[in-house]
Amino acid sequence: MNGDPETSQILRVLLWATVTALATGLGALPFLVLRRVTSGAVAYANAIASGLMLGASFGLLAEGTEHGAWQPFVGANLGVLFILATRRWLDERDIEFGSVRGEGARKMLLIVIVMAVHSFAEGVAVGAAFAGGLTLAAFVTIAIAIHNIPEGLAISAVLRPRGRSIAACAGWSVFSSLPQPLMAVPAFVFVEAFRPSLPYALGFAAGAMVLMVLLELLPESYEHGRRAPIGILLSLSLVGMLLLQRYL
Amino acid sequence: MPVDRTLATLLYGAIAAAAAAFGVGPWAFGRRPSRRLIGLANALAAGLMLGAAYILVSEGLTGPAAPGAAGAVLGILFVYGSHAFGGTADLQLNLPDEVSPEYGYKVVVVNSLHSASEGIAIGVAMFLDLRLGIFMALAFAVHNVAEATALCSVLVPRGVSLGRAAALSVLTDVSQPLMAVATYAVLVAAPVILPPTLGFAVGAIIYLTVVELLPEAYTQAHEVGIGVTAAVAMSAVAVLRVFLP
Repeated sequence: MNGDPETSQILRVLLWATVTALATGLGALPFLVLRRVTSGAVAYANAIASGLMLGASFGLLAEGTEHGAWQPFVGANLGVLFILATRRWLDERDIEFGSVRGEGARKMLLIVIVMAVHSFAEGVAVGAAFAGGLTLAAFVTIAIAIHNIPEGLAISAVLRPRGRSIAACAGWSVFSSLPQPLMAVPAFVFVEAFRPSLPYALGFAAGAMVLMVLLELLPESYEHGRRAPIGILLSLSLVGMLLLQRYL
Repeated sequence: MPVDRTLATLLYGAIAAAAAAFGVGPWAFGRRPSRRLIGLANALAAGLMLGAAYILVSEGLTGPAAPGAAGAVLGILFVYGSHAFGGTADLQLNLPDEVSPEYGYKVVVVNSLHSASEGIAIGVAMFLDLRLGIFMALAFAVHNVAEATALCSVLVPRGVSLGRAAALSVLTDVSQPLMAVATYAVLVAAPVILPPTLGFAVGAIIYLTVVELLPEAYTQAHEVGIGVTAAVAMSAVAVLRVFLP
């Protein structure tokens, strides 16, 4: 410790956000034992991640509404717009890459870009959550770290069958999550500097998380999995997440 | 037992159920709503459910957590079990062209069980606070309109008249006021079971949202419209809660 709390806090945010990014690399590990991952596994991993993120968003909303009502609402809608904007940017890329007849290369690049783009929101969520208090931050960090593992799995499921090594799968997975530590620090510092914006930031994180669940994770789940196990996994992991927030 | 509050529970539960009649609105104006509109109605219903779950959770955060969690698991298992028992686990709820009596029967059964869980949520909210209960009932009233529109998209193309479609929509929601009053009465008699009852409502309505409303919506409308509709509805409910005195 160099005695400057601000610096040590920023380092801590950077550290935790880096941990969530590194967790993404764990998604490559199943390929050590699995020749091929079923699409069902991704569907159910998504369901677990969705439950954890919805649980986290409940916590963020509860925290945010303690500071005011309209601010978290506005923040949540900004979070929704933020995800939409990054998706639109992505769609433009999509068209550009789609016109290239680069078969597998295009697909591999695209999955990494998709994951990296929504890691920006996750980084903001981590940074904002740290500003909301260390307890909540720990849960959001855990939630996002766990949520990153199936993301890494999804990336690896595209890369691995196209001949990339397990190390390369893990590397690209971590790379896709690097925006998290990069965004977490400015989000954290921003919140520190402008306390009144905290309810906005908490709402922003909640809105971004809920929309990410509804846009990226659940549609894929329903496409590849059955409703009942998705419902069970999602609701139980949501309850587990609420319990964690309550007890720790 | 406070008679006023009991009557209020019955009254507002009944208002929520009666609101379902407005689900025939689009047809009454001579328009058959597009699949996309039905999908967005389902998304709106889903967002309001998530908002209601959030409100119950935030109310329950001060109570003991373990009984609440146990109740939530029970609520999840209750809905799962009723789907498994009725053979409706993977039932597509909004197929306008499916005309078998079996299908119509299953849709009505699913919708009735669905509103029973919502009735428990209203009863719990009424027990916690009258204004919260009224707010919850009104949120479910809006939810019921959206849901009834989806139900009518099955009923009307099958040749059911508008009046009967409206009546059937209300009928599937009758379990709302009944379960609301029953839940309220049981809670007044035995306040200790509040945490597990609250948890039951949360678990049941989240599970219902995930297995009934959202998968249906994704087959009908684009995921962007669904995501925005549900997320905004959920955050609106969370924020309006703050304005309750």
